[in-house]
Amino acid sequence: MDNLVIEGTKQTPHIDFNASTGVLSISGRSIPENTFEFFNPVLQWLDEYAGIAGDETVINVSLEYFNTSSSKYILEIFKRLKGVLNDGKDVLVKWYYEEDDEEMMETGEDYEDVSGLPFEIIAIEE
Amino acid sequence: MDIYTKFRSMMDSHIILSFKGEITSDIISMVLQIMESKLDAVQERGAVKKKIFNILVECMQNLYHHAETETVDESNKRSAMLELYFDDDYYYITTGNFIKNEDVPRLRDRIERVNSLNRDELRKYYREILDNNRISNKGGADLGMIDMAKKSGQKLDYEFTDVNEWVSFFGLKVKIAKK
Repeated sequence: MDNLVIEGTKQTPHIDFNASTGVLSISGRSIPENTFEFFNPVLQWLDEYAGIAGDETVINVSLEYFNTSSSKYILEIFKRLKGVLNDGKDVLVKWYYEEDDEEMMETGEDYEDVSGLPFEIIAIEE
Repeated sequence: MDIYTKFRSMMDSHIILSFKGEITSDIISMVLQIMESKLDAVQERGAVKKKIFNILVECMQNLYHHAETETVDESNKRSAMLELYFDDDYYYITTGNFIKNEDVPRLRDRIERVNSLNRDELRKYYREILDNNRISNKGGADLGMIDMAKKSGQKLDYEFTDVNEWVSFFGLKVKIAKK
């Protein structure tokens, strides 16, 4: 299947999902008014990926800001990957936050709790 | 005209930005850009800047999605207000918009619930809503108020004012400590 690459903008994150390596990255900001429009193709890609995923999937999440309407879709991404985990494959979420951003660290913990995926929560020094 | 008096009063209350009109996608981008450059200019701390930015996004997107027209006449603009100012201890974000009378009780309950919770309880509530609520077509799924209270670390100040048989006016003030 094709990889999914979407260039980041001031409102939407950079997406780089590689189906063959199983390394998925989402970074930047996610504050669009219309979150469905942005995330729907991302979720569709993941639905397809879930069927062909290799033994290991790593998703790197390093978001500077996201709005609450994006937060639901981020959970949807994790739910798709939970499906992959349930198929007996390895999935790891690497959740990056800037070291002074305690809020983003806690949000990572919240997602770890809600998604049921293994997380590594990693501080980035500024 | 007395523009000077008006200017003086804006100066004295440290108004960063004051807007009345329809909140469009372009306006949101512009306001964020203005706010970022202002906060950079005063070298505000990264953590405070992020909080302000986050809360401002939520506030404006609430106005974008939920502001109503003052009358049933749909040709009217969905006018809203937004004002940003500061004092020695806090930054303030205030918003105002019309809301359908029938939607008032639900919003009031939501805010009162949020205001009754301490930090840990808010976090628990956030997880609960994140996990259980379906995504509404407007996206927010009620996380907005919880998120603003959580990020600001302060109670949400609000008021509802009767306007007509169709709408009320909803005023919201969120403050963010400079620390």
